[in-house]
Amino acid sequence: MSVGFFTVPFSSAGAADNHIAASVDFIRDLANQAISMLSNPSLNKADRRQKFRNLFAESFAVKGIGLYVLGRYRKRATDAELSEYLTLFEDVIVNTWADRFTEYAGQKFEVNGAVDTPSSSKAEMAALVRSTFFTDPSSPVEIEWRVATNGKIYKVVDVKVSGLSLAKTQQDEFGAVIRAGGNKVGVLIDKLREMRDS
Amino acid sequence: MRTTNFLSGFGKFVLALSLTGALGACALAPKDDPDALAEYKAANDPFEPANRLVFAANSAVDAFILQPIAVIYRDLAPDELKPPFENLITNLFMPISFIHALLQGDLERAEMAAQRFVGSLPTLLLGDPMPNKPPVHEDAGQTLGVWGVEAGPYVMLPILGPSNMRDTTGVIIDFFVDPVRYLGQTRWSIGRGASDAVIDRSKNIDTVRDLQRNSLDYYAAVRSPYRQRREAQIVNGDVRNEQPAPTIGLESESVKNAVAIKPGSN
Repeated sequence: MSVGFFTVPFSSAGAADNHIAASVDFIRDLANQAISMLSNPSLNKADRRQKFRNLFAESFAVKGIGLYVLGRYRKRATDAELSEYLTLFEDVIVNTWADRFTEYAGQKFEVNGAVDTPSSSKAEMAALVRSTFFTDPSSPVEIEWRVATNGKIYKVVDVKVSGLSLAKTQQDEFGAVIRAGGNKVGVLIDKLREMRDS
Repeated sequence: MRTTNFLSGFGKFVLALSLTGALGACALAPKDDPDALAEYKAANDPFEPANRLVFAANSAVDAFILQPIAVIYRDLAPDELKPPFENLITNLFMPISFIHALLQGDLERAEMAAQRFVGSLPTLLLGDPMPNKPPVHEDAGQTLGVWGVEAGPYVMLPILGPSNMRDTTGVIIDFFVDPVRYLGQTRWSIGRGASDAVIDRSKNIDTVRDLQRNSLDYYAAVRSPYRQRREAQIVNGDVRNEQPAPTIGLESESVKNAVAIKPGSN
């Protein structure tokens, strides 16, 4: 499927309703693409990861999530540290997400609708798209996708698994690592590098 | 008898902790660094050194006892026995949930809890009379939260796991308020709690493994979800007062000159 579908027509009239419906379509297509890609037997592991990475970079606000997760400490990072952090963040998050989605691959997936939710930015609107993955029929996993739009593009800015925000969880965890390491962003970067290379 | 043994064991554990000085150990607030101070306040974990020690002990109990039982339950318990057993445990939570929904002034949820309990009586509590509605789970910690009591510092309780001062108070209150304890015996409520822990753990085996494998600091990675889950339970999933979240706009901001996004406060 082309990248084109990530750009959804947007008009100011009835925009609030439009963005909810468009967010639902966006997630449905994204999940279908991810699942079919990860369960495609003709792709080897490296190709699969590369394709997943491209899809992830197109549809998630990776840099925005990375900066949010760094929280208050982004002010004290040097330019070099920030750029290395963002690269490592993308590497690590792609690996983690590729692993998680591999578990969901081939499973039944349902989108259960969406609700409007306040955005931290006045220039944007956001919707929480609710979905269920039936990994195990007796205990389906509830996943909510926070989809933001600035009127031109749609991107996933957070994912909630069973009600827990991954961005918030990661922000709290990274904050704890930096504080324990004497408030140095470099300590977090070292740990992320270790994790990526392990 | 078993309860007495457990409590005496628990008492020895607390004594051992206080002898090692762990309970008295507090993480000191960093006064000279505003960012570190803000992070310290957001974490709201002044007993962190002691909490980490208890967390290590709890992790060992989980690895050697809870997780193996949960795996056995998940893989070996007959599938046809799981729903009635899980319904029984859920239904046994309804009386206390009913009381707390009333105390919170939430008549709709009180009615749902009552309907589920009464509806399951003909099946001896083994059935699910409302398969399309999620069960109501309310407790004293949530009631105190609705009444405006702050969560207070994070506390890691032995065996029971993550908590905070408000929820710990709630656990003590519920020990005395719980109708199941009066209808049956104390061991009924302990058995219900233990069974609930096994059921819950059996459904989160992969999630916990994922968190252990993909976290830089497992202790901190557990602390944040506990808070988020309790906050969501207190507002019963209402998303109108969501925490600040990432935005697309952050993508294009000049990294050094940007005003730092307001981190989520706890």
